[in-house]
Amino acid sequence: MTDIILFYFLATMTVLTGVGVVMSENPLFSALYLVLSMTGVAGLFFLLQAPFVGAVQILVYAGAVMVLFVLVIMLIDINKSGEKYIGGNAAALFKGLAIGIFSGLVSAVVLRSPIVAKPALSNGSYTVLEIAKVLFTKYVLAFELLGIILLVIPIGVVALSRIKGGTHER
Amino acid sequence: MGSDGFEITINIIKMLVIFLMMVQMVPVLVWVERRGSAFIQNRFGPNRVGPLGLTQLLADAVKFLFKEEFVPPASHKWLYYAAPVLALIPGALAFESIPLSMPIHVNTESGAHTFLFQGYDVGVGIVFVLAVSSLGAYALLLAGWGSHNKYSLFGALRASAQMISYELAMGLSLVGILMLFQTFDFQRMVEIQRGTLHFWLFGKEISLGFLPNWGIFFQPLGFVLFATATFAETNRTPFDLPEAEAELVAGYHTEYGGLKMLMFYIGEYGHMMVASALMVTFYFGGYELPFYSSQSLVEALSQSMSSNAASIVGALLLHVVFMAKVLFFLWVFIWVRWTLPRFRYDQLMDLGWKTMLPWALANVLITAFFVLMAHG
Repeated sequence: MTDIILFYFLATMTVLTGVGVVMSENPLFSALYLVLSMTGVAGLFFLLQAPFVGAVQILVYAGAVMVLFVLVIMLIDINKSGEKYIGGNAAALFKGLAIGIFSGLVSAVVLRSPIVAKPALSNGSYTVLEIAKVLFTKYVLAFELLGIILLVIPIGVVALSRIKGGTHER
Repeated sequence: MGSDGFEITINIIKMLVIFLMMVQMVPVLVWVERRGSAFIQNRFGPNRVGPLGLTQLLADAVKFLFKEEFVPPASHKWLYYAAPVLALIPGALAFESIPLSMPIHVNTESGAHTFLFQGYDVGVGIVFVLAVSSLGAYALLLAGWGSHNKYSLFGALRASAQMISYELAMGLSLVGILMLFQTFDFQRMVEIQRGTLHFWLFGKEISLGFLPNWGIFFQPLGFVLFATATFAETNRTPFDLPEAEAELVAGYHTEYGGLKMLMFYIGEYGHMMVASALMVTFYFGGYELPFYSSQSLVEALSQSMSSNAASIVGALLLHVVFMAKVLFFLWVFIWVRWTLPRFRYDQLMDLGWKTMLPWALANVLITAFFVLMAHG
């Protein structure tokens, strides 16, 4: 019973704040709505007996990535960037395309998935140890590659800022 | 939440009591901070109102309640009001998930119940605590931006940059102790730290009977790094650049007064309590007494009372032990604040990225080597 109430509360919160991300004119509010939305998703993970994924969702997305977003938005001039990007035929075309793609994706997922979801593991829960085992044996190459991709980003930023015309030009 | 009405009721009351306990610790800590700082600086501190100035707390509370409600006209009202509330949440959420004493086992007519001496147990322990305390940066950011004041904004930017930088060092300094205990669960960590110091090295068992089996003896470097990082995370001196009075008036809470200011205070002290509780749980045996395990305590108690009462009294006694350890570290926080000067900003960043991060990585490598040797 409490699970059902919590699910509807979290799901409503996630969807409404998700709408808020798109609808707010101030980019700072978009970012803050996104934080709430991600917290809601994390709550849903907790409900699904996946506390590790939920905690990592908060730690990585809400706690680290979005803090940087909010920080950057606060640093740039908010008054100028408050202009709304709506109107015009080209914008209407892209909006129509985006709506079509999104609704197609959602309906495909809904139609193809079974009514009652199967638990990921036979007993319906898992431990961090099991995730670690799979991550460091079966998917070790993909895991390490992801790490390298993430490493490329900071190195790229440093390199870009140091070329001619960059902010930290030598 | 629990399987029947009795368990659900008790668990809800327990969550409330732990939250109120956290909030009620704040006035006491403020008093200790003011008297302690006076003691350290050869002053008297508040000593006029009541014995030892203790009723000063009450006077402060009344002052906080009746202060004029002021909102800066240019501020963003919604964020301005939301920020102090947000400041409370991470500390409270994290503190609720730390075991404050051993679980209580009770037998009633409806069957046997076990109540954990903590708000809730999410199952991933430390990861959850790190996750919710990383949300603490938002309160400061929103306060700084929402009050539309340059000093506030500077304070907020400094605070968030500092928190993000030191989060990395804090996480890495904990990896060592996690590898050692091989669990994320606080309860399990405390159980591992029972008894006297013993470990395996190169296939030989080494035991030192005169020391408790505490994490500090396995991870001294990890403890130093973790303690430093938590000082930075709680924005306390020597890392209190976000509210450096000489440069920024009061940093992110410049525009706040009265009860809203008090909420930031509760948030800061809440973070301190979480940090101290984590230090105790990881490095100082949690709620266990050295050389006297909780099982033998309950056994000794159950000879003079029923098993239900023995479990409850034992848990309360061990809670006192836990709080005594936590209070010691809270005193260390206050002690350091009134002893050390503030860092310069570049020194702060150098310490975080160029000193603590490499040392934390080295700690991980060394611990990994010894764990491998022990289990080899």
